[in-house]
Amino acid sequence: MERLLQYVFDGLSLGSIYALLALGLVVVFRGTGHLNFAQGEMAMICTFFTWQFHAWGLPLVVSVLLGMVAGFVLGAGVEVSLIRRVAKKSEAGVFVVSIAMFLGFNSLAGMIWGNLPPEEMPSLFPDEPDDFVRIFGAVWRYEYIGIMIVALLLMGLLFLLFAKTKFGLAMRAVASNPESARLVGIPTGVVLAASWGIAAAMGALSGAMVGGLAGELTSLLMFTPFIYASASATLGGFDSPGGAVIAGLLIGVGEQLAAGYAPGWIGQELRLGVALVTIFVVLLFKPSGLFGSTKVERV
Amino acid sequence: MKRTSTRVFALAMASALTIAACGGDDEGSSSTEAPAASEAPSTEAPSTDAPSTEAPAAGWAVNTDDCVDPDAANAPIEGTIKIGSAMPLSGGPAATAFAPVKDGFEAYIQWANENKILGDLTIEVQIEDDQYNKDLTPGAVEKLLDADTNVFAGIIGTPNNTAVKDLLNEECYPQLNALTGSPSFGNAEEYPWTTGLLIPYTTEAKAYAALIADQFPAGAKVALFTVNNEFGQVYAEAFKEIAPEFNIELVDEQTIEATDAAPPTAQVNSIASNAPDAILAVPLGAGCATFLGEVANAKAANAGWNPAIFMTATCSSPLILGLAGPAADGIYTANNLVDILDPEVAAQPAVAEYIAFMEGLGKGDIITTAAAGWHTAEVTVLTLKAALESEAGLTRASIINAARAFNQATTFTRPGITLKMNGVDDQYMSESLQVIQYNATTKLFTDIGELITDFES
Amino acid sequence: MMKINHGSPQHWALRTLGVALIALIIVWVPTQMSTSRIGQFSDAFVLIIAAMSLNLVLGFTGQISIGHSAFFGIGGYTAAILIKDHGWSPGYTFYAAAALAFVVGCLIALPALRIKGIYLALVTLAVAVLFPTLVKWKKLAWLTDGAKGIDSVRYDELPVWPILGELKGRDGRAVFAYWLAFVLLVVTYLVCRGLVKSRFGRSLVAIRDNETAAAVMGVNLTVTKVLVFGVSAALCALAGVLSTLRTGVITPEGQYVTLLGSIVFLLIMVVGGAGTLWGPIVGGLVYVWLDNTTRGFGSESDGVGGFLFGWSDQSPATLILGLALVIIMFVAPYGLVGLIKRLWVKVVVVVPKPAGTSLPTTGQ
Repeated sequence: MERLLQYVFDGLSLGSIYALLALGLVVVFRGTGHLNFAQGEMAMICTFFTWQFHAWGLPLVVSVLLGMVAGFVLGAGVEVSLIRRVAKKSEAGVFVVSIAMFLGFNSLAGMIWGNLPPEEMPSLFPDEPDDFVRIFGAVWRYEYIGIMIVALLLMGLLFLLFAKTKFGLAMRAVASNPESARLVGIPTGVVLAASWGIAAAMGALSGAMVGGLAGELTSLLMFTPFIYASASATLGGFDSPGGAVIAGLLIGVGEQLAAGYAPGWIGQELRLGVALVTIFVVLLFKPSGLFGSTKVERV
Repeated sequence: MKRTSTRVFALAMASALTIAACGGDDEGSSSTEAPAASEAPSTEAPSTDAPSTEAPAAGWAVNTDDCVDPDAANAPIEGTIKIGSAMPLSGGPAATAFAPVKDGFEAYIQWANENKILGDLTIEVQIEDDQYNKDLTPGAVEKLLDADTNVFAGIIGTPNNTAVKDLLNEECYPQLNALTGSPSFGNAEEYPWTTGLLIPYTTEAKAYAALIADQFPAGAKVALFTVNNEFGQVYAEAFKEIAPEFNIELVDEQTIEATDAAPPTAQVNSIASNAPDAILAVPLGAGCATFLGEVANAKAANAGWNPAIFMTATCSSPLILGLAGPAADGIYTANNLVDILDPEVAAQPAVAEYIAFMEGLGKGDIITTAAAGWHTAEVTVLTLKAALESEAGLTRASIINAARAFNQATTFTRPGITLKMNGVDDQYMSESLQVIQYNATTKLFTDIGELITDFES
Repeated sequence: MMKINHGSPQHWALRTLGVALIALIIVWVPTQMSTSRIGQFSDAFVLIIAAMSLNLVLGFTGQISIGHSAFFGIGGYTAAILIKDHGWSPGYTFYAAAALAFVVGCLIALPALRIKGIYLALVTLAVAVLFPTLVKWKKLAWLTDGAKGIDSVRYDELPVWPILGELKGRDGRAVFAYWLAFVLLVVTYLVCRGLVKSRFGRSLVAIRDNETAAAVMGVNLTVTKVLVFGVSAALCALAGVLSTLRTGVITPEGQYVTLLGSIVFLLIMVVGGAGTLWGPIVGGLVYVWLDNTTRGFGSESDGVGGFLFGWSDQSPATLILGLALVIIMFVAPYGLVGLIKRLWVKVVVVVPKPAGTSLPTTGQ
């Protein structure tokens, strides 16, 4: 029982990070119809920004917020300068450009911060060995609880944005029918840029949390989380924010359970395999995911 | 039109693949046996003699008859000797950790030239960047071969050295002091031109196993934690092989991906649930610190569990352990070189000269990692010196012969340790080591037990 | 701008000149250049073969795949295992690897038929990431040797080919690898060309442009997609075998065995010109040249490179490639080949024969 709870706790915390990153993917997809392959790398480079701000003396929380702002600017900037123009020419081109960004940001981070010793990244939450609480015998570290709460808070804010604000309404309008939205006077350009910006900002926060957990930063930081996030968005449905969250948590818990209860077969090595197989199975049998809407194409 | 082009490509395909198929070993047997990685190469019969300083056996000499160009392998090297190497200078965490090795290496060569260690012979060095990527090492080595390199030394990385050892052995170029501890680099019969410099992982594992058996004479429960790549795998295999000898029961085996930056919480929790008496950890680079952090967490959550932690010598840099803070206190590791941060050591004349020289070059901040490069270069140049003074003079063949007869202490070796090889009887340079324990407050190491020289052949 | 008639003597002269030029370069490299340069060309050929295989699936059929690194790896591992563990002669491993990859490719394609666009990209992403993970899996270590990889995979004795004579040592190996790679490149090119210019090729393009319309017009989507995926996988596996023979080692973290490899193949294809036969060739050569030149940048070099990138010790190679890709997308959406064609047309135009006439009109 205690082990089961342990896996569930760990899974929920890790899962909330995946969910946050996956939400970024969903926001971009819903807003613009594209998959941002570079979501992880953009998050990584924003985390480096956060670290840099902190290294320059700013308090950690301020640094994280600044990192998110930097992410917003980066995301919006990329959309305005690159994505928008390429999307006009070809859809496949956008995918190719996001792959180019994947490589480019990875390389850039390595170049700017590469040769410094491994960066120590402090955590937003108390993370001494004693900082945990015991529930029914299973250990739940403050750090993990903190991550979950922050992630859920942010997701809540996002839902509020979508459902209750004018801007959120505009985003939904642009997502469902850009032409009509434009005709009605909604500044589609601003909305598109903002979608990418918000997604990048959320990525920056995920990165800060992953970095805090890991304790140090390298340019490979967000590579595996990105895979998990893709699996979450796939499972939940690329156009369903709620779906992405639920799926993220499910995958987080699922992989912990699989690794924990099948150490010989799955163990830690094939933990990622769980996410990958999920992608396969979902796309083969229900491509729209658990909560997504099926696309109807006009012939 | 379609017919003709179909015919053409069918014909081309058939002929091309037939020609390709003609290649290869017609005898059918795989004549290149895999250099045994998991089987211990020719036995290291533990000798009970103290390392002797008598003249090395004149027995072993490399056979140059099978070389592609035997004359070149035996041709005298005059005027300048060129040393080549491939190290990770860019491209990620490996470069961050190991790039200073290059600085140390080049600094020693400069020092050696200034002090005329090889008399009138000038030493040139060219170090290429292979980004710790074994796909790039052959290209780097080819480039160096085209640039008239005479000898290779200090290539970093097990996969990197493995990638070029066939090439260098076929062409008969010495591949000295490979910076790897993989046991497959002590194979004078199949790869006579290749030698390794680091303590073999098998030896290190044995030393730890012996210490564990000492502390837990009734039999110990041990858990393994390794990085899931060639380095970690070789280490794990070495330990698993000797564990039964020391009455050690392996209760858990966990791995972590080299690219996974997330802390190994699940792995450590699994280990903790088995409550081993000791953990042998082989993480990579910065992973050393995250692992220790997780163990600290697990210890807090499991009151009463306080395992002895043994870490691979590659983690033993104060820089890396410093990242773990108090969590690194009390860990065991091993080394055969001195700790140059220790003020007593730094005061010794040769060490002080090194530090001063590096500071003169403006590289005073990297003296810890650069020392590995200086050390490697020193062993290489001393080998060259022995070859120069040998009967055959300085030739590629005499260099490797001298390497396999090396028997000296160097600037950084611990007192009581000599680096020694002897033909096929002693195929590893560094078999003596000292188990040390880290003190997180003082950031220094203390020696545990005696210098272990049992493994010297 | 010169106008030449198709089939006229000037046209033939131009073609012969082109072929002669290429032949000259092909022969000049292994005979006149240094061994390491020859090696670079061999590496370029390997990449080109892989990019051409991807081109079949992505460029011509419009199916996004970033999973080809898995096929590359399958090829390499098949060869390594057969040569090391079973003593096969390296030449035959090409066949085995291609056959195995073909089967695997078809198996993957079958269920992936209904998936399109980014979803297909995700499936292939999963394949690409799953391959190295599986290779390292403890349960398969008996086969793959786990994370260690397999080494010493090489020709024990180089075969004696006509004209080349006896080849020895690393120089010999380099030249042999070069010619082997070149031969495979030609084979791959002919296979691709044959496929593309045939009826099968036209159905590929039809699928790319509009699947539903293609189906309506009688194209058997299932068979076509599965076949092209299988062939593409087989060709990519050939590249994998070649690469393993050249470097002698294969590991699960190898250059082109991980997801990064798939991305590089994609890059080359797009930069060169997707959907064209020569695109991957141009792209591959440019990439290898760029990679080798930029690797020297960083704190060590002078000039423009040093100025732009001297502040960092890291190699800016990948960054430059990423930038190059983005620029290409804007400036030359049909890749370098498209660009070259557009420029070439300003110099020489080949006027096709008017349909229905039997007498060629003479030029000016």
